[in-house]
Amino acid sequence: MFFICSLLTLVAIATLIFAVPLRVKIWAALTVVGLGALYASARAIEVLLSGATIRLWQFGGTPFGVDSGSLDSLSALFVLVISLGAIAATLYSRGYLSHYLETKSPIHISLHYTSLAIMSLAMLAVVCSDGGFSFLFFWELMTIASFLLILFDAERREVCRAALSYLIMMHVGFVLLLVGFVQLHAATGSASFAALTGYFATQPFLSLFLVFVLGFGMKAGLFPMHVWLPEAHPAAPSHVSALMSGVMIKTGIYGILRVAMALSDTASLHIAGMILLGMGVVTGLWGVMLAATQNDVKRLLAYSSIENIGVILIGMGVALLGESSGNQLMAFCGIAGALLHTVNHSFFKSLLFFGAGNILSQTHTTSLDALGGLGKHMPLTAILFLVGTVALCALPPLNGFVSELLIYLGMFNGIASSNDILPSVIGLVSLALIGGVAVLAFTKLYGTVFLGSPRTHEVAEASEVDNCRVAAMALPLLGILVIGLFPQEALRVVAQAVKLFLPTDISWQLSPVMVTICRSAWLLILVSAILFRIRIRLLQNRTVAEGPTWGCGFTATNVRMQYSGESFSEGLEAIARPLTHDSEEGAPVGKNEIFPSDHRFEIRHKDRIGQLFSAWWVEALHLINSRVMQLRTGKINHYILFALAFLGLVFLLSIFNLL
Amino acid sequence: MTILNIILLLVVAVTIPGLINRTRARLAGRNGIRFMQHLYDLRLLLRKGAVYSTTTSALFRIAPSIYLAAAIVASLFIPVGNLSPLISFDGDLIAFAYTLALGRVALVLAAMDTGSSFEGMGASREALYGALVEPALMLIFATLALLSGCTSFADIFAAGATFDLRYAIVLLLAAYVLVKIVFTESGRVPVDDPRTHLELTMIHEVMCLDYCGVDLAMIKMAGWLKTASLAMLAANAVAAMIQLCWWLAVLLAVLITGLAIGIVESTQARNKLMRNTTFILAIATMAALVFFTGYLLQLKLVF
Repeated sequence: MFFICSLLTLVAIATLIFAVPLRVKIWAALTVVGLGALYASARAIEVLLSGATIRLWQFGGTPFGVDSGSLDSLSALFVLVISLGAIAATLYSRGYLSHYLETKSPIHISLHYTSLAIMSLAMLAVVCSDGGFSFLFFWELMTIASFLLILFDAERREVCRAALSYLIMMHVGFVLLLVGFVQLHAATGSASFAALTGYFATQPFLSLFLVFVLGFGMKAGLFPMHVWLPEAHPAAPSHVSALMSGVMIKTGIYGILRVAMALSDTASLHIAGMILLGMGVVTGLWGVMLAATQNDVKRLLAYSSIENIGVILIGMGVALLGESSGNQLMAFCGIAGALLHTVNHSFFKSLLFFGAGNILSQTHTTSLDALGGLGKHMPLTAILFLVGTVALCALPPLNGFVSELLIYLGMFNGIASSNDILPSVIGLVSLALIGGVAVLAFTKLYGTVFLGSPRTHEVAEASEVDNCRVAAMALPLLGILVIGLFPQEALRVVAQAVKLFLPTDISWQLSPVMVTICRSAWLLILVSAILFRIRIRLLQNRTVAEGPTWGCGFTATNVRMQYSGESFSEGLEAIARPLTHDSEEGAPVGKNEIFPSDHRFEIRHKDRIGQLFSAWWVEALHLINSRVMQLRTGKINHYILFALAFLGLVFLLSIFNLL
Repeated sequence: MTILNIILLLVVAVTIPGLINRTRARLAGRNGIRFMQHLYDLRLLLRKGAVYSTTTSALFRIAPSIYLAAAIVASLFIPVGNLSPLISFDGDLIAFAYTLALGRVALVLAAMDTGSSFEGMGASREALYGALVEPALMLIFATLALLSGCTSFADIFAAGATFDLRYAIVLLLAAYVLVKIVFTESGRVPVDDPRTHLELTMIHEVMCLDYCGVDLAMIKMAGWLKTASLAMLAANAVAAMIQLCWWLAVLLAVLITGLAIGIVESTQARNKLMRNTTFILAIATMAALVFFTGYLLQLKLVF
C-alpha cells in the first residue's frame, strides 16, 4: 500500500511538472520540493526539540517482512541538511536553466525538474527509512533520479560517459547493500538497522560491517571508490553538483553512521574505529592532494568533497576509538565533530558549487587558467565564494573551523588522556596536512579565478548573475554564519543526535569551549574592523594614489604573465606526483628558446585510481567483447544453430553427469 | 596578570627584531643600527600615504587588517610563563594554529590580487610551506599534550611546573623544532631572506611588494607578533624544565629566538629553493621523532 502511494505521488509530481507551461515548471518543482522539505523539516525540528522518535510508516508483506520508517534525532539532522540543500538547489536552477529553455525541448526540461523533485523527496525518505525494503527502494530511486539529472547535457560525450560510470558504480554499491540486508535478514529475521545491534552482538561483525561500509562508501566517495565524483560533477549542471556533493553523498555517511552506531562491544568498536580512521586518512589525503593539483573549478571542488568525506570519517573513527576505550569526551568530540562537519560541508560545498555555476554560465569556462579578475565583474559571487572558501579551509570565524576543532579536540583528548595515542596522532597529523593543503588548493582557486586581471575577453565581459541565484546562495551562507558565530547553539542541536550514540549527554563539558570560540570569533571580527577603521582614519588626509602593479622594473607585463593555477601548485606537484598520472598535450616552451614561437601546451593531472579503469585489463575486455560480437552475424540460421549447439552441450554435460 | 601577559608579549615582539639586528651587526663586525630602529621605521611607515595598484580590489585593502587582527588574536592564546593568557580553553592550540592560517590566507589572497607573477610566486610558496609546517606544529602541540595530559596552552604550561626531569630532553627538542618553525613562519634564513627585496627566491617579502605605508606597517607588526608568539611557546617549553616563571620565559624567548635567527642569518646562506621543501619536511619528521620519544618515555619503556 505504501509503495503504491509513493508511486502514485511520483506519477502525480511528474504529471504536474509535465503539464504546466514551460516557464512555470520551475515553480511547480519548487513547490513540490518546498512543501516536502518544509513538512519534513517541521517534523524534524519537532523531533530535535523533544528528543522523541516519530514513527512515519509501518506495513508488512515486503520480501524483508515488516518494513517501517521513523524519524529520530539523527534522521532529523539529515532531514534539515537535505531540505535546505534541496530548496537552495531548486531555487538556483531557475536562473541556471533559464537560457536552456529555448535550446532544450520542453520534455527535456520537464524530465529534469521531475528528477530534481523526486531526488529531493527520495533523499528525505532514505534518511527516514528504518532499513530493509523501503530503504533500498528509495536509495535506488535517488540513484536513478540523480543519474537523470547528470544526463542533462546528454549531447556531450563526456557527460554520457560520466553518467554511465556513475550508474554502474552506484549499482555495484547497491548490490553490496542488498547483500548486507539479505545477510542481516537471514541471521536475525529483520532487515532494519535496529536489528544490526543484535547481529553485531551475536555474530562476527567484520564481514557485514565491511560490506555495508563499502556499499555506503560507494555513494559517499570513499577511496578508492571516489572515481565517479570528479567525473560526474563537471558533467552535471551546477545545481545538481551542489545537490549531489553537498547533500547526496551525505546519505552514504548517514548509512555508515547507522551501521557504526549498532556496534557495542569494545573489541569490535576498536577494529571498526581503526578501519574508519584509516579510510578517512587515506580518503582525505588523496582527495586534498588531487584537489590541489586540479585546474578545473568543478573538478577541484569535487576532489575537495572527497577530502571532506575523509575528514568526517576521521571524526567517526575517533569517536569509535574513544567509545571503545571508554573515553566519553573523545567519543563525543569525534561524533559531534563528524556530524557537524557533515552539516557544514553541505552548506559551504553547495555555496561553492553554485559559485562555480555562476562562473560557468557567465564565462562559459571552468578552466582556472582561462579565468581571472572575476571579483570586479561579479562582486556578489566573489564575496559569497570567499566566505565559502574561508569556511571550507576551516578557518575561524566560520563554521568549518568549529567542526574541525571538535575532531581535533577528540584526538588531542585521546593523546592527553593516553587512550589510542598512535591512531590519534596519525589522525592529527593527517588532519593538519589536509587542512594546510586545502588552504593551498582554495587560495589557488580563489586567487586565479576571482583576483588579478581577466585572462580572456569573455571573462573581462562577464556580468553578475540574477538575484534568484544570489538568493539561492544566501541560504547556505546563512547556515555558515550562524554555525560559525553561534557554535554553542549548533552544538546543542548536534548533541541531540549524539545521544543516540552516547547515552550520557556530556555536551555541557564542551559548552565553555564553544562559548570561548564564539567570543574569540567575534573578537577577531571586531579587531579586524577596528584596525580597518584606524587605517581609513590614517589615510584620510593623505595622498592615496593608484598606479600599475609594480613589475620589478619590467614595464611590459601582460595578463598572461600572471601566476596561473598550474604554476601555483607546482611546488606541491612534486609531492603529489605518485598519486597522479599526468597527461600532456603539445610541448612547453623550451629553456633554450630565446625567441619562443607559438606553443600550445596542456597538462592534466589525472587520478591514478581513475586510470585503473582504462588500464590493460579494460583493453583486454574490449578485445574479448569484440571477438564475441563476431558471433552476432544477423543471420537467423546461425542463431538456430547456436541454440542447437547449446542444447547439444547441455545434453552432453548431463550424460557425463557434469551438470 | 592577564594585562602583564599581554604587555610582556608586546615587549618580546618589539625586542626580538632589535636583538636580531644587533647580533647580525656584531657578528659582521659593525656597530649596527639603533636597537629600536625598527620602531622608528614603523613610525615612518605609519605617517605615509599609499599607492595602490589598479588591478587590486577591496580585498587587497582589507587583507593587512585581517592579517594583523589574526596575529593579535592568536597571540592572546599564548601564556607568558606562568601568567594566564586572555583567552584560554580546551583546544586553544588548534585555534592558535588556525587563526595564524587565517592571516596567511588573507596575505596570500592579497598577493594574488595584484596580478603580478612575482607576488603569485611568493603566494604559492607561502601557501605550500604553510601547509607543510602545519603537521609539525600540531605534532609539537600533541607532544606537549601527551606529556602534560592537558589540551590548552595555559593548562599545559601550568602542569609543566611539575614535569618530570626525564622529559627534559623532549622539551628541549620540542623547543628546537619550534625555533625552526619560527624560521619558516617568519620568513627567515635559511628558508627565506627578508633582506632580498628583488630576487626570485624570496617568499614572504615578495608578497608585500605592492604594499606601502600603513598597510606595510600592519604586516610588519603582525610578523613580529607571530614570531613572538611562537618564540614564547619555545621559551615556555625550555623554561618548564627549570622553573616556569614569567621573567625567565621572557628572557629565554628573546634570547633564544633573537640569537638563533641572528647567528643563522650571519653564518648560513639561504637554502636553494628546491631544498626548502626538504627542510620543512625534515622539521615535520623531527617533530614526529620528538613525539615518539615523548611517547616512549611516557610508556616508561626506557628510563
